[in-house]
Amino acid sequence: MELTDANLIARVLVDDDQHAFGELVRRHQSAVRGLLRQLTRTDLALADDLAQDTFVRAYKHIRSFRGEARFSTWLYRIAYNCFREDARRRKELVGIDEEQLQAEADPQTADPGLRHDLMHALSVLPLRERSAVLLCCQNGLSHDEAARVLDIPLGTVKTNVLRGRVKLQKMLAAWGPN
Amino acid sequence: MDEKNREDWLDRQLREAAPYIDDDGFTAGVLQKLPVARPRRQSLRAMILIGTTLLACALAYVLSDGGRFLAVEILRLTALPTLWLLVLAVGSGILVMAGGLVAAISKTREVQS
Repeated sequence: MELTDANLIARVLVDDDQHAFGELVRRHQSAVRGLLRQLTRTDLALADDLAQDTFVRAYKHIRSFRGEARFSTWLYRIAYNCFREDARRRKELVGIDEEQLQAEADPQTADPGLRHDLMHALSVLPLRERSAVLLCCQNGLSHDEAARVLDIPLGTVKTNVLRGRVKLQKMLAAWGPN
Repeated sequence: MDEKNREDWLDRQLREAAPYIDDDGFTAGVLQKLPVARPRRQSLRAMILIGTTLLACALAYVLSDGGRFLAVEILRLTALPTLWLLVLAVGSGILVMAGGLVAAISKTREVQS
């Protein structure tokens, strides 16, 4: 029987069980690293460093997790904060690396041309719209959850998702459904 | 309807653009960076449990007039017929065994998971 996230969190809280925390990391690493890769515009090394910081921070502050939201939502919030702090430190966001994008494209999952255009279209969206679109459309968070992660009002999230979607659809008009 | 199709298509493309990322040593790296676990908490918990148990025992002893009722009950037990004593002993044994068995099974499941 597989333990739920809540069971694993309880073990970390009660016994400081790092193996249980390891299982939580294994479960959520892909989603957190994926989100950070998109936010950092596919700077893989930076994204993975931020993802490590995210999980270490989550471990240190796990007592502040109240269970009101999903654990993944709480992790996204920490990840987003790590990303924002780093971006503030650097003063400027990292530019898109075309070569890295080519290397990242997985021919088995999607049309490389469409994938490339989609990644590019995402990267040129303003950060607020990109974050909202990634959280709601890619990671399946509700608008309410995304508002908690981004620490902005619900209405702003809805607006950003809508604007981001419209811009993406315009930029990808040539690839649209027939 | 067309607008809905476009939204669905875009969401699907976004999800497909985020394939599963293999762990590839990531979790091990995170675990190495975690602060050392504090074993102190375990012993503190044990001390609290033992302390409260001892306190409860002392309270029960004082409130039951020095445990006199125990002596009375033991005397009453000795006066029971031998067959009744045998049934009581076997019953208690089965009860304790069942408790131990349940604890062992649940612990085994926990370890296996």
